[in-house]
Amino acid sequence: MATEEEIQKLLKGLHDAVVNMDEVAAQELSQVVLEKDVSAYLAVTQGLASGMNTVGDLYARQEYFVPEVLLCSDALCAGLEVLRPHIKVSGVEKKRQIVIGTVEGDIHDIGKNLVKIMFEAAGWTVHDLGRDVQLHRFVEEQAKTGSDVVALSALMTTSMMAMPKVIEMLRAENSDVAVMVGGAPLSRDIARSYGADGYADNAGEAVHEAVKMLEKLNR
Amino acid sequence: MTPAERIEALLKGKPLDRVPMFSFILGFCARNVGYPVATIYSDPEKSFRAQVLTREQYGYDSEPFYGYASYGGWEFGGEVNLPDGDYEQAPSHGRFVVESEKDVEKLKLPDVKTAGMLPLAMKFSHIQKEHGFSPSVVVGGPFTIAGNICPVDTLCRWLIKKPELANRLLRLATDHIIGVIRYWIDTFGKERVIVQIWEPLASNQIISPKQFEKFVIPFQAELHEKILAMGIRYLLCHICGEQNRNLPYWARVPMGSPGIISIGKEVDITTAIEYFGKTCIIVGNIEPAILQTGTPQEIYELCRQAIEKGKLAPRGYALMQGCEVPVNTPSYNLYTMRRAINDFGWYE
Repeated sequence: MATEEEIQKLLKGLHDAVVNMDEVAAQELSQVVLEKDVSAYLAVTQGLASGMNTVGDLYARQEYFVPEVLLCSDALCAGLEVLRPHIKVSGVEKKRQIVIGTVEGDIHDIGKNLVKIMFEAAGWTVHDLGRDVQLHRFVEEQAKTGSDVVALSALMTTSMMAMPKVIEMLRAENSDVAVMVGGAPLSRDIARSYGADGYADNAGEAVHEAVKMLEKLNR
Repeated sequence: MTPAERIEALLKGKPLDRVPMFSFILGFCARNVGYPVATIYSDPEKSFRAQVLTREQYGYDSEPFYGYASYGGWEFGGEVNLPDGDYEQAPSHGRFVVESEKDVEKLKLPDVKTAGMLPLAMKFSHIQKEHGFSPSVVVGGPFTIAGNICPVDTLCRWLIKKPELANRLLRLATDHIIGVIRYWIDTFGKERVIVQIWEPLASNQIISPKQFEKFVIPFQAELHEKILAMGIRYLLCHICGEQNRNLPYWARVPMGSPGIISIGKEVDITTAIEYFGKTCIIVGNIEPAILQTGTPQEIYELCRQAIEKGKLAPRGYALMQGCEVPVNTPSYNLYTMRRAINDFGWYE
């Protein structure tokens, strides 16, 4: 059994491994977590995911950019690969779910992938539809999974025109679903005019925005 | 003044009757005259015709051109897909030629006479020449081309983990661009060719100012020096997206005299004048998303503000969109730019 001090040291080590883009350290420390019989759930939420939260803040403050965030997420994934099979599901609160994708006509998925990583790190179940996603697929996936949120991404001004259509289709099917949008050509005003419930200016703020949006909608 | 006279006066620093209006417009033109959007890239004759007719209709001064932002992928051996459907306006990547580290070793400089879209671009330039326009050649900057040869996320990882691979791609991209421009000069003469370089991927939406300084600037500066040494007189550099923190570095890159700097909505015109105004004509920066979704009043006001700031630029200013006009832009919104020029663009 690890002492409290050892556990805290491990959690900080995992946090720092993610922030420092150190895949090897994330993997090795995750192994130590298992060897010392520390809760894998604790190691993920308060170690790896907490590191990714810090990364999100660094990204939002423009101290980290896409290259750093990608390597941090590689470290996160390296740790998760070791720990995930050992997370005990019982006792864990029901996870929030999100359907995410880049809309039809748009193949740019870096922004969408960063947002996906942030939601995964925050413990959400993410249903990633990929890029150039036909509009009806968002509706089908939301209905299939009962997801709380649908997140739509676009980089191109032409493809962002698909967003109001998806929102209309989602509302027709399920008026309760919360929809957020993001991408370089979007703004909060455009998001509002499209009928979206939420908008995030960057990946670092996306999870916070989603939680705020659900609270506002009382869900 | 005719558009040709106005552009000549702008480039030579002579008095102008009014602020010139440029248009960053491709797919819109195809749809405007009843062609599929893909025609603008697949058929040089129809592309030219669509652009000339749209220019006549909206009364802007800039000339037709041929190019797209994902340039480089196809030329180095990958695949691009032409735009199709309601929500596409430009070619996009189908397959990248570089997916792994091993692929970089195998990469070779393409033949500029036969690779990818270059035969179509050359055909377009011959049509430009036949109609009395300057033959133009549009390429990405080295960083954007590197990010079209391999997926951008791979390039981003290599900047930190495998900088030698990123540098190899940047070297090839730089040498390729120089080869393309040499081919245009050999065909049309250095006095006539206008070069456009678009650099969206080096924006701070992707990389940091430090990465920009380390990876982008050495190749970009070398490229511009070599292009200018070849005798090219006019170089339009479109620094796309959020580039504010890169501006001090861009200001070190030779742009020619005058250079032409095209900025996106993210860079304020007054800021651009501070950095480049002494040596460059400033062009921009009406937000395409507002052009597409805003009201004519919003666009009119945006143009008024842009013209008032731009008019003060010592080497001149042209009103233009901050990036490509979306194909679904309402017709009246685009016309509104011309209306603003008529109302606010005249010099005393």
